[in-house]
Amino acid sequence: MRSEHERWREQGEIYALGALDGQELKEFEAHLTSGCAICEAYVREMRETLLLLHRSITPTTPSPSVKTRLFNDIASEKVVPLAAKPRSTWRRWQVITGTLAAGLVGAVLAGTLITKRYEPRHTVYTSVINLLRDPATRDFPLYGTGPTPKAVGRFLWNESGEGHIFVSNLPAAPEGKMYAVWTIAQASAPRYVGTIQTDRTGQGGLHINMPRTDQPVETFAVTLEPVGTTAAPTGPMVLVSKPA
Amino acid sequence: MPPDPTIALHLIQQVAKQDRDAFSQLYDRFSTLVFTLAMRMLKARSDAEDLLQEVFVQVWRQAENYSAERGSPEAWIINIARSRAIDKIRSIRRMQKSFVLTDDPARAESADNVESSAAESEARIAMNSALANLPETQRRVLELAYFGGLTQTEIAERLAEPLGTIKTRMRSGIQRLREMLGTQAA
Repeated sequence: MRSEHERWREQGEIYALGALDGQELKEFEAHLTSGCAICEAYVREMRETLLLLHRSITPTTPSPSVKTRLFNDIASEKVVPLAAKPRSTWRRWQVITGTLAAGLVGAVLAGTLITKRYEPRHTVYTSVINLLRDPATRDFPLYGTGPTPKAVGRFLWNESGEGHIFVSNLPAAPEGKMYAVWTIAQASAPRYVGTIQTDRTGQGGLHINMPRTDQPVETFAVTLEPVGTTAAPTGPMVLVSKPA
Repeated sequence: MPPDPTIALHLIQQVAKQDRDAFSQLYDRFSTLVFTLAMRMLKARSDAEDLLQEVFVQVWRQAENYSAERGSPEAWIINIARSRAIDKIRSIRRMQKSFVLTDDPARAESADNVESSAAESEARIAMNSALANLPETQRRVLELAYFGGLTQTEIAERLAEPLGTIKTRMRSGIQRLREMLGTQAA
């Protein structure tokens, strides 16, 4: 007869492989959460063993542009470490002085900003017009689905990676949620291209500038996601470029 | 040869202090491993490049949370990559089920590409590799799970085999890999 831990070990092997599912997965995760150091160590050991699998395949080198993009993001502080270091006293003085200086500069610039109030909108309009002028730009209707069947939209897309999405009848996302916009090339993972916000009337728009990809986009979708979800869609689809 | 975990551990500790030079070295050390895995799992170069970037963003953000007690740096980074790749693969399947016209034969074929790519990978496996030393039945289930992101039940359905058989093959395959690892370490 198998001991209790023998059963967990068997499940631990399949869990480390990522293939455990259903009730067995729930039970094993609950067992790990209960603090079983033996199983935790066993899963860790299995994961080290499984590294042999990917070392078995022929290496493929990524393009240097990926590293450039990554470091640009970090340099521009789009990516901030989760645990930020506490600010020193000197740093606090720097912030206070900086804030005062920014206030003065802000007052001087206020007049200029007022005159330029509509410039961002103007820039977007210009970008959309330029997109429409390009014969390679495609125009996709978007259909409401799931929780928002009345929502509608249009997606202008150019394979250069530039696009624009317009939506209507899409109620504002609930607190803690956002509308994530995805492009999907054939047999590829959905690619997050931005977050769209809607106003009181349910209208919204988003201009998109992404690096060109090697496969043409076939489908466009908007999903309702917890704020910050950009790796892969997990929530319900609210708009899609193909009717269900 | 696996990367030296001592150097990688030091680099992660430096990355936790926001040291960009260390991050650059860590990227150089592991990016090909991650990208190779991403290409194998996601197929499209653009998806694999996106994944590579996402993985290292996560490494940059979470280096402070890394603990050597929880596994080697390589296992930690590869685990991040696999989890993200599996999320993407499963979302592709969900999307395809949700709104792709299933009577499109080209599309139906692409939805089934996990198995065909498992066969394709056979050609790419070095003859002296760990995978090449596994029996075909064990190798197939490990590949479908590890690179294809399929669960044990999905593999059983796909191969039309009883679930118990799939579990046994997976476990036998893993045990065999452990033996090989033991031989390598000896």
